[in-house]
Amino acid sequence: MSEQKKTPTSPTRREFFKTAGLGAAAGVAAGLVSEPAPAKAATDTQPTGQGYRETDHVKRYYELSKF
Amino acid sequence: MNEAYPTFDIAEEDQSRAQVYALLGRLLTKAPDSDLLATLSRLEGDDSELGQALAALSAAARRMEPQRIADEFQEVMVGVTRGEVVPFASYYLTGFLHSKPLANLRGDMAKLGIAHTEGVPEPEDHIGSLCEMMAGLITGAFDAAADLAEQRRFFNAHVVTWAPRFFADLEAAKSAAFYMPVGKLGRTFIDIETQAFALISAEQAA
Repeated sequence: MSEQKKTPTSPTRREFFKTAGLGAAAGVAAGLVSEPAPAKAATDTQPTGQGYRETDHVKRYYELSKF
Repeated sequence: MNEAYPTFDIAEEDQSRAQVYALLGRLLTKAPDSDLLATLSRLEGDDSELGQALAALSAAARRMEPQRIADEFQEVMVGVTRGEVVPFASYYLTGFLHSKPLANLRGDMAKLGIAHTEGVPEPEDHIGSLCEMMAGLITGAFDAAADLAEQRRFFNAHVVTWAPRFFADLEAAKSAAFYMPVGKLGRTFIDIETQAFALISAEQAA
């Protein structure tokens, strides 16, 4: 995942979701998706000096909005 | 915590998808409280299969007492030793909890920068967590929004492999009255997602 990219969407795809009735769900569930959790990555990169870089454990807590 | 959502630069249908995933995630991780039930009560479905599922869910929300739904959640999803359904990918794919599918998922979560929420005892391959992760990938809750190819990869690797069976089981679970339409909503939605992802594959191939 890189910088902000707007997902290119095709008219076919948009139409498909519309026909599938997805719009009906949209209004209600809107309040369910909260702003992204404080997405500041506490990146503690610890190179393990073995010519092998340990995966950064990016801590990011995600939580749906509480009702 | 109210305004941020619509500011995401994502297509309208993707916002709707994220909302359905978020709703499923919410309903599958804990019983709905009265506020959520009030919201669900206002749902109106259209003639589509998904719309019908939403309408049934709305009717159940209007009809049932929160306490009864909470009891049902316990019985269906949790149980004393186990619920009527076992909502974990590992169980569906291998017959055991905490097995390979969970390990694979954790690998992908690390790559995508998704951390397990602290204090949540369930392993991450819980259906509700997977729905939350899909919602997060779409909206960019974890990072910049994952593009469709990335979403599709995650969906194909961790969701479609078992979620259709899980939702069918939920829909058919003995005690499921409120959770029956939840199962139907999930089953229908995952089917729509599967077709929509196939659509982009087809378009790319063209």
